[in-house]
Amino acid sequence: MGFGEYPAEYNPKVHGPFDPARFYGKPDIPFGEVKLGEVGSWLGRRSIGGLPSALSRAFWRWQHKYMLPKKTGIAPFCQLAIGAVTFFYVINYSKLKHHRNHKYHW
Amino acid sequence: MLSRLALRSLQEAKPVLLGIRSTSSTAVNKSSERDEVNFPHPVRPIEPGKVRMGFIPEEWFKFFYPKTGVTGPYMFGIGLTTYLCSKEILVMEHEFYTGITILIMVVFAVKKFGKGVAAYLDKEIDEIEGVWVNYRKSSIDSIKKAIEEEKKSQWEAQGQSILFDAKRENIAIQLETAYRERLANVQSEVKKRLDYQLEMANVKTRIEQKHMVDWIVNSVRTAITPAQEAAALKQCFADLKALAPKDA
Repeated sequence: MGFGEYPAEYNPKVHGPFDPARFYGKPDIPFGEVKLGEVGSWLGRRSIGGLPSALSRAFWRWQHKYMLPKKTGIAPFCQLAIGAVTFFYVINYSKLKHHRNHKYHW
Repeated sequence: MLSRLALRSLQEAKPVLLGIRSTSSTAVNKSSERDEVNFPHPVRPIEPGKVRMGFIPEEWFKFFYPKTGVTGPYMFGIGLTTYLCSKEILVMEHEFYTGITILIMVVFAVKKFGKGVAAYLDKEIDEIEGVWVNYRKSSIDSIKKAIEEEKKSQWEAQGQSILFDAKRENIAIQLETAYRERLANVQSEVKKRLDYQLEMANVKTRIEQKHMVDWIVNSVRTAITPAQEAAALKQCFADLKALAPKDA
């Protein structure tokens, strides 16, 4: 699957209009239902190559849920702001560290 | 070569186009293998997902509820914040207080103006949607009206067929009249010619007869000699004398 292409499993005749938030392949067990001993094999079935599409689906799920409904509120913007603050805090943490007020922490 | 390339790209683009067309939700071109149960047509929700405190999804609290009860997630948040603060992972430098100030202002603004802005925006959205819905509705109505008009004109055209029949009959009558006129014309013309022929024949025989008579009479007259005339005259006298009464 390259850029701008549909997933290989997507068949418009069966699935209808393409929903970017949906996974059209064969669903695996949800991570919440995986037993501790099976985590290894579960992770083994995942691949790095599937990560971009997974992120894209997550983004679209968020869009459909918070951003695109008709009567959406301020929540998605707050979420974006909080996310941005956290992200920039994390990437700047090595510099912010020098502003600590206390030498010892318990 | 470029044109061929363009043609090829067009051919490649075609199946995609067909694919898009077959995904249409209209009943007409819905394919038989379409799985509506597992893959229903996506619908735009009206209300967004529920959140608490402006940004935390409701699901987060539901996830905590069976294990910790209602206060669990809040306690988790407070505990996490306490941990971050006490270990100074969350460093309280000058920007932190700026952040708190901004947060207070935002919360105040949302509490104060949120409802009004939301109502205004909802109204705007309803208006935009109303324009499109009205456009669609009026399109459907006008097309329906056009169909009605078309049906009416078809009905009128059916009425025209009666009129056409009457016109056809009229023309047939006219044709019949003209035909009969011509027939009479032909008859009279033929009769005239035949009469002429008859008259001609009659005249011919009359003149022939007359001529014959004249000729015979003339030739008889010329054949009478003066001697014959005299003898005939003498005979006449004799006859007259014989006829005359004896006693006179």
